[in-house]
Amino acid sequence: MLNSTENYFDFVVIGAGVVGCAIAREITKYSNSVALIDRLDDVGADTSKANTAILHTGFDMKPGTLESRLVREGYELLYQYAKDNQISVEETGAILVAWNETELAELDNILENAKANNYLQARKITSSEIYEFEPNLNPGALGGLLIPNEYIIDPWSVSISFASQAIKAGLKLFLNTKVLEINRDENTFNIKAENRTFATKFIINAAGLYSDKIDDLLGFDELEITPRRGELIVFDKLARKKFNHIILPVPTKMGKGVLISPTIFGNVMLGPTAVDVKDKEDKRTTQEGLETLLNKGNLLSSSLIEEEVTSTYAGLRAASNQSDYFIKYRKENSSITVGGIRSTGLTSSLAIGKYVVDLLKQSNLLTNEINNMVNFPMPVLGEAFNRAYKDEAKISQNPSYGEIICHCERVTKQELIDALNSTIPPQSLSGLSRRTRVCLGRCQGFYCLSEVRKLIAENSKEVIS
Amino acid sequence: MKKTKAEILIVGGGPSGLALAAELKKKYSSNIILLERESIAGGIPRHTFHPGYGIRDLHKFMSGPKYANYYVNLAKKLGVEILTSTTAFDWVGANTLATTSPNGLLEISADKIILATGARERARNSRLIPGSRPEGLFTTGSLQQTTYLNHQYVGSKAVIIGSEHVSYSALMTLHHAGVKTVAMVESNHKTQSFGALVLPTKIRYGYKFFTNSKLVRIEGKGRVSSVVIERNQELISIPCDTVVFTGNWIPDNELARRGNLEIDLETKSPMVNSNFETSQKNIYAIGNLLMPIKSADQCVLETRKIDL
Ligand SMILES: Cc1cc2nc3c(=O)[nH]c(=O)nc-3n(C[C@H](O)[C@H](O)[C@H](O)COP(=O)(O)OP(=O)(O)OC[C@H]3O[C@@H](n4cnc5c(N)ncnc54)[C@H](O)[C@@H]3O)c2cc1C
Ligand SMILES: Cc1cc2nc3c(=O)[nH]c(=O)nc-3n(C[C@H](O)[C@H](O)[C@H](O)COP(=O)(O)OP(=O)(O)OC[C@H]3O[C@@H](n4cnc5c(N)ncnc54)[C@H](O)[C@@H]3O)c2cc1C
Repeated sequence: MLNSTENYFDFVVIGAGVVGCAIAREITKYSNSVALIDRLDDVGADTSKANTAILHTGFDMKPGTLESRLVREGYELLYQYAKDNQISVEETGAILVAWNETELAELDNILENAKANNYLQARKITSSEIYEFEPNLNPGALGGLLIPNEYIIDPWSVSISFASQAIKAGLKLFLNTKVLEINRDENTFNIKAENRTFATKFIINAAGLYSDKIDDLLGFDELEITPRRGELIVFDKLARKKFNHIILPVPTKMGKGVLISPTIFGNVMLGPTAVDVKDKEDKRTTQEGLETLLNKGNLLSSSLIEEEVTSTYAGLRAASNQSDYFIKYRKENSSITVGGIRSTGLTSSLAIGKYVVDLLKQSNLLTNEINNMVNFPMPVLGEAFNRAYKDEAKISQNPSYGEIICHCERVTKQELIDALNSTIPPQSLSGLSRRTRVCLGRCQGFYCLSEVRKLIAENSKEVIS
Repeated sequence: MKKTKAEILIVGGGPSGLALAAELKKKYSSNIILLERESIAGGIPRHTFHPGYGIRDLHKFMSGPKYANYYVNLAKKLGVEILTSTTAFDWVGANTLATTSPNGLLEISADKIILATGARERARNSRLIPGSRPEGLFTTGSLQQTTYLNHQYVGSKAVIIGSEHVSYSALMTLHHAGVKTVAMVESNHKTQSFGALVLPTKIRYGYKFFTNSKLVRIEGKGRVSSVVIERNQELISIPCDTVVFTGNWIPDNELARRGNLEIDLETKSPMVNSNFETSQKNIYAIGNLLMPIKSADQCVLETRKIDL
């Protein structure tokens, strides 16, 4: 039963976050026997859905680390991937602002650090340049750095695109499939998951916050993940024209700090906080967290705080007991654990995928590329781009692209229908939101929630709540 | 982009926009275009099925949909051109708006433009209520559409946040949907609606009225399981599976802001003079886009004061 061919795959990737999706996609280029499994009802539905969505240059990474290398490589790869697959990227650049003498003195070190990471485009800017770029910052900025290549990206389309593209090339995706037990006899792993079993000769553990648990199941106890919660506030689209760049604080030992960032969907985001928590499911926002952000935000830009809040949320970084990414190939165990991909995994995902495949190639577990992935154009979700509602050609082909259902986010009926019938159909309203932006806007359903539910009911084979 | 012209362009087909269009058509018989982004004009009353409309303007006591129909028919009969499923999404000049619809993009220029885009209730996130993000959260607006327009499942036990007029509308809607209201939570010391409503509705619907109480947290995985409120520094947990955020209005000021009209920082409405003209010449604002919030008949009576 366990070894029936139906359940057998040459490779099983556990965890369909952005990292697992990237790895599975890369392996699928070489193998037509790959399974990607996740406990949730969608890809990219855990940490990968709740981040600040910045394409990091890696200027502030610790030089010489694997993280620094993979972020630098991943940046180039994801930038190109996004271009090829119509995923929105806005080339905003970032400004790192020093608000006191100590921070000002730190700028040289940061520049040096950037150079050590082989990022050479950053430069110092004066206080008056800062206000030319960002007139809505509070007074008091003493000077800063311009990091022209920090960009913002549509974070959700990335995982969906990786997985969808790979599915077209033969990857098998299993959702709602939590891995419970792993046993090994001879050279075969038997994986017991909710509702299903798998057999495989090789496991890649990309289980994010639970990569330590899966590592345990594989028989190791080196890795320990300690979730670090980041709360964020998203301000109304009307705030967007107040800011042009990502605005960064001078980083401290405690982390990157609270930033102000335009989002690809046309909002402005403030956050994240950084608080260690015990429970890997504790994605609640808190009174203290939101208050901290508002106070912090008010120090940076009181003009931002005047704006309406559209959304608040929290994400959990997979911080760990390791000082670097933990990517461990255990040959004798036929497994690779990819864990502790804390706050840069969106950017580095494709590089991690390549890194893992290189390890497999070195062991001759993968040899020749068998299929070239076909580009998989995603629906245009970036606010600065030609969205369906203002795409004359699209509307004339199909008038439903001109029929707006969600007014705040200007999502049209046909976009919703397309998403409901896509390669990985959403199984919840939030899954539909990540594919279209529906119901994520300022009214939070006051106008369209009910209409959207009706469309879902009419267009899905399974019932979505 | 296709282009067209009108003498008067009204954005928003709620009671305010419709009544004004009809009124102007009677007076000037000019070329008037009215834009409505929904597939049916009528605005909020379209989904407010309980009676309570038309008292001061039509001297009748009628339901929302009947009231909405009355003004849609009146405007149509008088020859107002109503473009439904048409959203005005941005300005392309001082007196020109870009619109989109299933017919494509259209730029409409007009001698005078009147914004009548209404107001909505602030929902959970805009109120910065911490906690988890479960299903079962509504505003009165989304609750009414769920209940009356599409007859979808709501829940079984509800807490209403706020006690404005509209909160009692939520109470009736929940009852209609078969949902028991267990509590109404008000941050002030008394109801923000008519005092006379409190006792009879408490008796009829059997809910607890918490005054001086602040909602501090929402709990529940998947579905709401309870809300936590704070009263006199005491935390009280109220089990429920549905929360309705009522009132706490914010004008739908997107076009006003995009057009750089001067905005009142307190109410977030565009500033207008006694003739409802905004800081931009020939651009006007009416109805619930102008705070404070008003009932529909008050909005309609107000539109009669404009002189174009
Ligand atoms: C607040 C915040 C801001 C961030 N900002 C940025 C940024 O600006 N730029 C950037 O590049 N990165 C950023 N990051 C980091 C980035 O989001 C993460 O590094 C990345 O999402 C990690 O992806 P992952 O696939 O490793 O993990 P996840 O997305 O968590 O995926 C792991 C998957 O494994 C599944 N899983 C777990 N256990 C099991 C099991 N037993 N069986 C089956 N499946 C299982 C989970 O359901 C999950 O889907 C940020 C993170 C946070 C929290
Ligand atoms: C739950 C509830 C119960 C109520 N009960 C009562 C009651 O019993 N009695 C009473 O008198 N009043 C009641 N009211 C108040 C009443 O509904 C409002 O006073 C009235 O709807 C205001 O009319 P309006 O035209 O200003 O705005 P709205 O009715 O909000 O109409 C605005 C219209 O503009 C459209 N629009 C907005 N932006 C654009 C754009 N960019 N392009 C195109 N179209 C756009 C919208 O789709 C909408 O149709 C209630 C309100 C609510 C929410």
